[in-house]
Amino acid sequence: MFKKIGHSEIAKLLSEWSKESTVLVPTRADGVTTWAKWDGRDVSFLDWYRNTVVPPKSFLLPMLEEMFRFQKGKDGYSLELPPSDGRKQVIFGIRPCDARALAIIDLVFREGYEDLYYVNRRNNTTLVGLACTSPYDSCFCTSLGSGPGDARGVDLMLTTAGDQLLIEEVTDKGKELTAGASGLGKAAEADLISAREAVELASRKVTRQVDLKDTDKALLANFEKAEFWEDIAAKCVSCGICTFLCPTCYCFDINDEMDRQGGARVKSWDSCQFALYTRMPMENPRVEKWRRVRQKVSHKFLFYPLSYETTGCVGCGRCIRRCPVNWDITQVLNSLTAKVA
Amino acid sequence: MPQLQHEARALLEQGKVDYILGFEPGTLKFSTTPLITKNKEDCARLVVNPFIANNLSVYLPKLKGRLGIVVKGCDSRSVVSLIQDNKVARDRVVIIGVPCAGIIDLDKIEQLVSRERDEIDDIVRQGDRVAITLGNGKKEFPLVSVLADNCLACETPIPKECDILLDPTDTLVTDPSAGQQRIQEVESKSVEERWAFWEKQFERCIRCYACRSVCPVCFCERCFAEETEPQWVSPAPHWQDNMSFQIIRSLHVAGRCTDCGNCERACPVNIPLRSLSKKMVDLVDELFDYKAGTDKSALPLMASYEADEAEGVFR
Ligand code: SF4
Ligand code: SF4
Ligand code: SF4
Repeated sequence: MFKKIGHSEIAKLLSEWSKESTVLVPTRADGVTTWAKWDGRDVSFLDWYRNTVVPPKSFLLPMLEEMFRFQKGKDGYSLELPPSDGRKQVIFGIRPCDARALAIIDLVFREGYEDLYYVNRRNNTTLVGLACTSPYDSCFCTSLGSGPGDARGVDLMLTTAGDQLLIEEVTDKGKELTAGASGLGKAAEADLISAREAVELASRKVTRQVDLKDTDKALLANFEKAEFWEDIAAKCVSCGICTFLCPTCYCFDINDEMDRQGGARVKSWDSCQFALYTRMPMENPRVEKWRRVRQKVSHKFLFYPLSYETTGCVGCGRCIRRCPVNWDITQVLNSLTAKVA
Repeated sequence: MPQLQHEARALLEQGKVDYILGFEPGTLKFSTTPLITKNKEDCARLVVNPFIANNLSVYLPKLKGRLGIVVKGCDSRSVVSLIQDNKVARDRVVIIGVPCAGIIDLDKIEQLVSRERDEIDDIVRQGDRVAITLGNGKKEFPLVSVLADNCLACETPIPKECDILLDPTDTLVTDPSAGQQRIQEVESKSVEERWAFWEKQFERCIRCYACRSVCPVCFCERCFAEETEPQWVSPAPHWQDNMSFQIIRSLHVAGRCTDCGNCERACPVNIPLRSLSKKMVDLVDELFDYKAGTDKSALPLMASYEADEAEGVFR
């Protein structure tokens, strides 16, 4: 159902939610936009926030997490799980692309295999979406069946409607947040129209396009062609930016950090773009850079479609904005199909 | 045909090089992107402008054949440094020098106009000023307020070691004290404050290694950061390990770093890496009277040793 709220009421709403949950909002520090616990006052992000450099996945698949501690005793090792953090969290203002990205991670960590660390956090998380009003020139979500007002991945969806925010209750989890919340009004037909117009206006600003019609075919047909991929990978410097900042990339590394008595097993982000990632005692199947670049593109645009009938990319454009050499996934995708045609 | 396109095309046509490494317009506003090509027709896309920020010498050690490379002053010194380290042979490169007029720092522009780069309509350099267009409005700023810090501090904008020197388009306006300002800010802190400052910076490092990947003198095939026996730093991004990684990296690039500024530029979370790397450049100069990449026949700083050196240095 639809409700609405004035900008001036948002702080109060967040305060109410903060009693039950950790409310995460976009923040900006040292020139970097990321997510942090709401400070209880500041809602100025409503004016400047477009999207964050670091994606909100970091609150579901943390960059660094302790899986368990171990201790050496008389009769071998004893294990201790981290104190279960049952606290709920609300990600306030998540963009449609990033929410959709979590639905894609669900396919791997919740549906295929149950990663309890992820699943517990996911169950404790409520996503409050905020429709985009000023997409970047690097956004291309509309080419991937989504858009600035897409509510499919969120629990509540907020859309600008004049000087108010229209609230759509998308899931039951979302309704739990609005139930009894103060400051909410009933939305009128005019608010719905004004919100729809705002979304249409934003959609028109998403100008970057990819044509994915034959992408999977092109990837399959050229999979073994080293020269084809060397060309595509030529300027890539094999850093981890595109994968670490990608809201759907989930690869991780596991290390034991210990002294003589014990220590902790920690999990941290890893990237298929690092040569070390696939290094094994006998061999490394992806020594050459082109094989790693091929993996990144193929995973998102060939293997995901084959296994899950979705792309592994949501078009958030982070990898384009932050790549130090302007390796642009949309340019690569468009050139793939052009090469086959 | 612009001079660079002409020269590059001729090099390929005459078989003097197998590849050209230059810059072409990027896919984002005010961006350029490396162009690495064997195809002479591609040379028509080569550009020189205030946005050719990358240091293309990073690609040299990995490419085979003869390489024609477009360099700014700092990049040309990186090429020399690579020659000194036997990472590329002098006769394998044809160095095309750009008399550099400075790189525009888009972060500074964004701050000046409170808009992100894709919301800006135009940025035009006019002599020692820059005009920024936003919709119908136009604002002018002194060039020194938008040039990259490393350019403001640059002493060698005109490549010395080169085979072809392009005609200058503009002249660099430097301001060494402005270029040094952020480093001085860190230096003026007390030891405790400085420690707290760096702790805060490295807390947000995501260990993407972009700083290392774009650095031409980080050419090791296996970085110490990935060693396991012994493990110098944890691969997990604890701030302490992030900081150790960067401190050790600074030591490894000492005497090789030419203050090209690309590590800091690449960092996705704005860690002020130049406050370490430029500080190291200054220390190397002060302690050893050595400027990286200025003499291709000199031994690399860390590969040479004079008996009377040690006492003053290792205190
Ligand atoms: S591949 Fe790039 S555009 Fe696609 S979801 Fe990942 S970061 Fe965003
Ligand atoms: S580029 Fe920045 S975030 Fe990435 S490893 Fe280097 S310092 Fe850390
Ligand atoms: S350390 Fe940074 S400034 Fe120095 S050469 Fe490497 S990338 Fe350039």
